[in-house]
Amino acid sequence: MSKYFISLLIFSIGFSAIGQDEPIDLQPKDTVEYKQEYGLRVGIDLNRPLFTFLDEDYTGFEIVGDYRLTQKLYIAGELGNEEKTQTEDLGGTPLYNYTTSGSYLKLGVDMNTYENWFGMNNAITIGGRYSYATFSQTLNEYSIYEGNRFFNPTALLPGALPGEEFSGLNASWLEFVVGLKAELFANIYIGMSARLGFLITNSEAERFPNLWIPGFNRITDGSNFGVSYNYTISYLIPFYKKSKKKKEVPAESQ
Amino acid sequence: MKKILPSLLIAFLLIHFASCEKDDICVDGDTPLIVVGFYDIEDTTVFKDVPSIRIRAIDNDQILSDSDAFRFSDRTNSPDSLSIPLQISTGSTQFEFISDSADDEDTGEETGNIDQLTVNYSIREEFVSRACGFVAQFDDLTITLPESAENWIQDINVVQQTVENSNNIHVKIFH
Repeated sequence: MSKYFISLLIFSIGFSAIGQDEPIDLQPKDTVEYKQEYGLRVGIDLNRPLFTFLDEDYTGFEIVGDYRLTQKLYIAGELGNEEKTQTEDLGGTPLYNYTTSGSYLKLGVDMNTYENWFGMNNAITIGGRYSYATFSQTLNEYSIYEGNRFFNPTALLPGALPGEEFSGLNASWLEFVVGLKAELFANIYIGMSARLGFLITNSEAERFPNLWIPGFNRITDGSNFGVSYNYTISYLIPFYKKSKKKKEVPAESQ
Repeated sequence: MKKILPSLLIAFLLIHFASCEKDDICVDGDTPLIVVGFYDIEDTTVFKDVPSIRIRAIDNDQILSDSDAFRFSDRTNSPDSLSIPLQISTGSTQFEFISDSADDEDTGEETGNIDQLTVNYSIREEFVSRACGFVAQFDDLTITLPESAENWIQDINVVQQTVENSNNIHVKIFH
């Protein structure tokens, strides 16, 4: 019987050797990964409704949105509508008064250049947009400017066709965007952006050129550049979570 | 927050630069005056002064006396060319061109030779620039002078029917 015990012992040594086959990891890796939210972020511009409220010659709104593609890249866009009435004067004498009204759509990408700390979701972005606006301009009233006031010494003579509307106008431009977004509460972001537009096409009436384009802002004589900005509040609709890809992929030992 | 401040600065700088622009000052255009040149009827390429010229606008019964704007002084010998304004409220303006203008010592009446000219034109409103807005320009310029043996003006030739600036002579008067 005792020789059986010895055989059994020898047999079980083999088992215990199998049991020790997996080496003990003395430096276990932290397996808790921070997964980042991916989804559609939609929001509104705060600046335009504020000026709608403050400025009686302006109404406007803008919807903003972006969709996260990768760690850094977002598809971004803005959709808005604006109406603005402006008066140009010469030393206090009103020369002309016009209303521009129309809608615009901007589509492009944003790239986040900000390396977030653990758990943070802020962004400093640079991006570009292709923008298109359709609008109309109405020349409400205007005067004929005369440097020599021999026949009309007291006031400038009003123009012949007040209230003329120039409709079916459109313009397109490229925009360079610098922006930032900060997560205020969970999934709620505030942001701002400054934009430099470069006008590509601009269809205008022969009689009255486009002086202001919705979304582009003021057009300067002899220049294709325009400047605008927005302040936004937006909500992230989360679709899925994905962890950030490690930069150095450790070689798998097994 | 440290990252927000530079961005804010960039935004304000952009807005700041956008607020001062060259097109805030009107320098580009004005409603033009028509330029009238006085030529010799004998040799139509040579300028000839009109002695003691006076021009009176009939519509508002005013004498053209602003020597800076019209480039001549009232009751002096005329320069080679001078400028006269047109009414933009209507397509016709009437002037009395007076040669040898003087007042009668007793009655105070005009003793010079008065020729009454009627200038007809169509008005075109033209947008010049953001700062100047609209100005008037003139097309189809014609000038009529009633026939009379006492006219000092022998002939009138409109050399430019379209008046967009005051840089060159539009009307030649031969006397």
